[in-house]
Amino acid sequence: MATTLTAPVQAPVHVQTPAYAGSGVWSWLTTVDHKRIGQLYLYSALFWFLIGGIEAGIIRMQLARPNGTLVSADMYNQLFTMHGTTMIFLAIMPLSAAFFNYLIPLQIGARDVAFPRLNAFSYWVFLLGGIFLNASWLVAAAPDGGWFGYTPLTTRAYSPGINIDFWVLGLQILGISSLAAGFNFLTTIINMRAPGMHFLRMPIFTWASFITQFLIVLAFPIITVALTFLQLDRFFGTNFYTIAAGADPLLWQHLFWLFGHPEVYILILPAFGLVSEVLPTFSRKPLFGYPVMVYSLILIAFLGFGVWAHHMFSVGMGPIADSVFGITTMLIAIPTGVKIFNWLGTMWGGAIRLTSAMLFAVGLVGLFTIGGISGVMHSSPPADLQQTDSYFVVAHFHYVLFGGSMMGLFAGMYYYFPKMTGRLLNEKLGKAHFWLTFLGMNLTFFPMHFAGLNGMARRIYRYDSSQGWDVENMTSTIGYGILAVSMVIFVVNWFISLRNGKRSGPDPWGAPTIEWGIPSPPPDYNYARIPTITSRYPLWDKKSPALTREVPHTKEGEKSIDVNIGGHQTDSHIHASADTTLNAEDAHPSSHTLGIHMPIPTIKPLIAAIGLVIPFVGLIWDKNLVVMLLGGGIFVLALFSWLLSPVE
Amino acid sequence: MPFLPRLRRLFSTALTVLICVAIAACSTEIPNSTLNPNSQFGRDTDRLFDWLLLGGAIVFTIVEVGVLFTIILFRRRGKGGKPRQVYGNATLEITWTLIPAAVLAFIAVPTVRTIFKYRPENVPADALQVQVIGHQWWWEFRYPELGVVTANELVLPVGRTANFALTSKDVIHSFWIPSMAGKRDVIANRTNHIYFKPDSAYAWNGFCAEFCGTSHANMRFKVFTVSPAAFDAWVAHQKTGPRFRGGPDTSAATAGNIGAAPLTLAAFTNGKRPAHIVPSTPTPKGLAIANVTGDATRGAQLYKTGACIACHVVQGVSPGIVGPNLTHFGSRTTLASGLYPNDPRHLALWIKNAPAMKPGSLMPALGKSSRMPAGYTDQQVADIAAYLLALK
Repeated sequence: MATTLTAPVQAPVHVQTPAYAGSGVWSWLTTVDHKRIGQLYLYSALFWFLIGGIEAGIIRMQLARPNGTLVSADMYNQLFTMHGTTMIFLAIMPLSAAFFNYLIPLQIGARDVAFPRLNAFSYWVFLLGGIFLNASWLVAAAPDGGWFGYTPLTTRAYSPGINIDFWVLGLQILGISSLAAGFNFLTTIINMRAPGMHFLRMPIFTWASFITQFLIVLAFPIITVALTFLQLDRFFGTNFYTIAAGADPLLWQHLFWLFGHPEVYILILPAFGLVSEVLPTFSRKPLFGYPVMVYSLILIAFLGFGVWAHHMFSVGMGPIADSVFGITTMLIAIPTGVKIFNWLGTMWGGAIRLTSAMLFAVGLVGLFTIGGISGVMHSSPPADLQQTDSYFVVAHFHYVLFGGSMMGLFAGMYYYFPKMTGRLLNEKLGKAHFWLTFLGMNLTFFPMHFAGLNGMARRIYRYDSSQGWDVENMTSTIGYGILAVSMVIFVVNWFISLRNGKRSGPDPWGAPTIEWGIPSPPPDYNYARIPTITSRYPLWDKKSPALTREVPHTKEGEKSIDVNIGGHQTDSHIHASADTTLNAEDAHPSSHTLGIHMPIPTIKPLIAAIGLVIPFVGLIWDKNLVVMLLGGGIFVLALFSWLLSPVE
Repeated sequence: MPFLPRLRRLFSTALTVLICVAIAACSTEIPNSTLNPNSQFGRDTDRLFDWLLLGGAIVFTIVEVGVLFTIILFRRRGKGGKPRQVYGNATLEITWTLIPAAVLAFIAVPTVRTIFKYRPENVPADALQVQVIGHQWWWEFRYPELGVVTANELVLPVGRTANFALTSKDVIHSFWIPSMAGKRDVIANRTNHIYFKPDSAYAWNGFCAEFCGTSHANMRFKVFTVSPAAFDAWVAHQKTGPRFRGGPDTSAATAGNIGAAPLTLAAFTNGKRPAHIVPSTPTPKGLAIANVTGDATRGAQLYKTGACIACHVVQGVSPGIVGPNLTHFGSRTTLASGLYPNDPRHLALWIKNAPAMKPGSLMPALGKSSRMPAGYTDQQVADIAAYLLALK
């Protein structure tokens, strides 16, 4: 078996937040620990996911039958706008951020991210942005221009109320959060990888996150520009989008989709990364074609900037633009399809264990394929002239976002819950969650393909009878009911497993990457000693070196990884808990004992975030200059104080 | 249960369900289906879709069967199971990159061909020119060469290409007749084009397909494709002034060259309107009107001296330009852009309180109410409605 050069560090298993990390509300408000921030993102995002789900439920109740009267036209328009905005910016992106936060330092063998306080700042800005956006409900003025906010409808002339103001400013706030996090993770991944972890040894989730951060830092500035133009128009009377003043009516659409298309890759790539971690573990084989998987991520991101106008095939751009964007859109299907085949190749010939995490991962492979197929159908502009702006598109993107992103994120949640909490989620409930989600999701969204092909336009609060859409809509609504039940099961599972879940030990799954070699949950310093990486699958090397002989390694002679699993060698990982409870009474070394300098918790990122958001509140509050200056002042002071205090 | 029979059963069930669903989807009973096109343009795009669907079905089958097969066949048996650690295969990678690329090329070629085939420059020289102007939330239709202006109901001749010049007076809308052809956006300060040649006579539904605000869902229109002779008769009829000017009906004098009656669907549907073009939109709760009979002569007088003339055109009577042209309003089958049937009760309710009937409507409520004590009484509303319905 693998040798260790020095006495293993006793790193016992904890099932609650380790005492040396502090507890209580204040410790959470001042935390700069990436693991805590990850959990904050996770719980906030799950909350917003449920809110977005309720919005979807009201939509489905309204559309269950022709000429529904549950909600008014105005309320419906607010609901579908907020459903989309919430699910994209407040649910899927922060769920991905939860995993970026929690996992990236662990996977690369680092102790935290490059800028821990900026990390906390990103979270608080996100939280305040989500609250800002949803505060609009409290004043009965939720955004109602669609999540895509096309001008001139969203200009002051056609949307005189403050609804769109909430939307524009809310998204600006959220954009700041994402951009800051993007720079943070890029720096972390480039600079803080453990020795020996060159890029092609990074876990694939870290790769997917890495590429996603590039997309974020390149795409978000574009929507910042688009929103700033709209903000200046709406608040200060400029004419960037005023058609009567000579503005190009398509300017907004180009800017928005230049952001919007990379945005959808931002939404899916982390889920792809999670699935690429889960499938190998539960197939007991390495990821098939790891380098190709990396290149395809890079290619998808690159091509993703060249397809934006496929959202605009009906605006009349002319035959050349239509053809070019049709072809680039077809091209991007190639690296995406390659990933599906590589996932199949990963499972083929494996020894598959269908745990809940694995079921969700396999679910992504199956359901994203359907979304990908309808996506290719959209890529042909003449065919798309029938499909665009109809329920066919709604079906497509729900398959890729729910059947793709959400399935991948759920797989990640089931897979990493033990690492985060030291306990396993209940498998029976997990499987019930999976099957109900699978059934509900297909029942809700598959009929939408037909409704769309049968002429049902999207974004309509009601439809007439005798149009041939009744059965599809009722079926979708029933499917929603099943989805709602499945999510209740998930929430119940989460909370009972937090209390009573089976202890997991460091590595319940028999996984290959180094985060599984440290306790669950990890101590605040993650690794007592930063490991040296000699392969892509360090833990598998340790446990079954004969099998991983063929997997690419470094040159012979380098010592293998010295990461220890609580000082014990285990190969049946479900039983790890039995071994590791032995260590429960041992004194756990704190970072202080080990002489590791950890970043100091501080309230300054939260203060700065509050200071940043207040001017936006002042702006929407009748351009209240006093409030705006106050906020600006707080922000500057907090920032100044923050920058002058040391990290650790 | 042993693996193979179980898989076979699963497969045949799935196939049966899929076939039933496909049959239901392609049924001609579905009135707005994009899969039963009624123009050459519609057929060309549908053919592209058929190829895409075929390709999609093949990919679907390969992948989904692959997934099912894999997780069943390679399920871990027993405790151990350390499978061979295969980390890749260059040949496979190349194969499953090149084959999809080839399939996509197979789609790209007819795609680009179709795009170029339907460029605006390729419109036939003898096409019927139609201007479509989108408003929040109704459709203005003009036939510039024929001097016809109407709203919300489009009449087209079978067998002749109609070339649409699309523009908007306000926000972006989208002009979509699903059973006929794809859609094209309707944008201010810009003229977009779409053209198609209807190949059969029937009645079709049109919709706005770009979110345009409160009543986007209510911004519908009707399309009637008729024989060339019926179309010419309709045009001639539209060019005449309103058929009722108040006082004795003088329209009989001009009856000769117009035909016995204005265009009705009797010409091609045995007098019975197909269900899909008859709106069933319920009227708002709480909005009612007394059951009185309107008088068209009184209504004409009320119209000429009332608020209506500020927004609506009735040729020779009122010059308003904001709202739909009402010169031949009585011959339309629907009102409020395809939202309600055009009958006395619905029309009276509309005049009484248009915003309640259509949320966000720019037409104000005209009926008497606590907020507007000087508004029209129910009788007056009924009179105006009778006048408008007489404008056949």
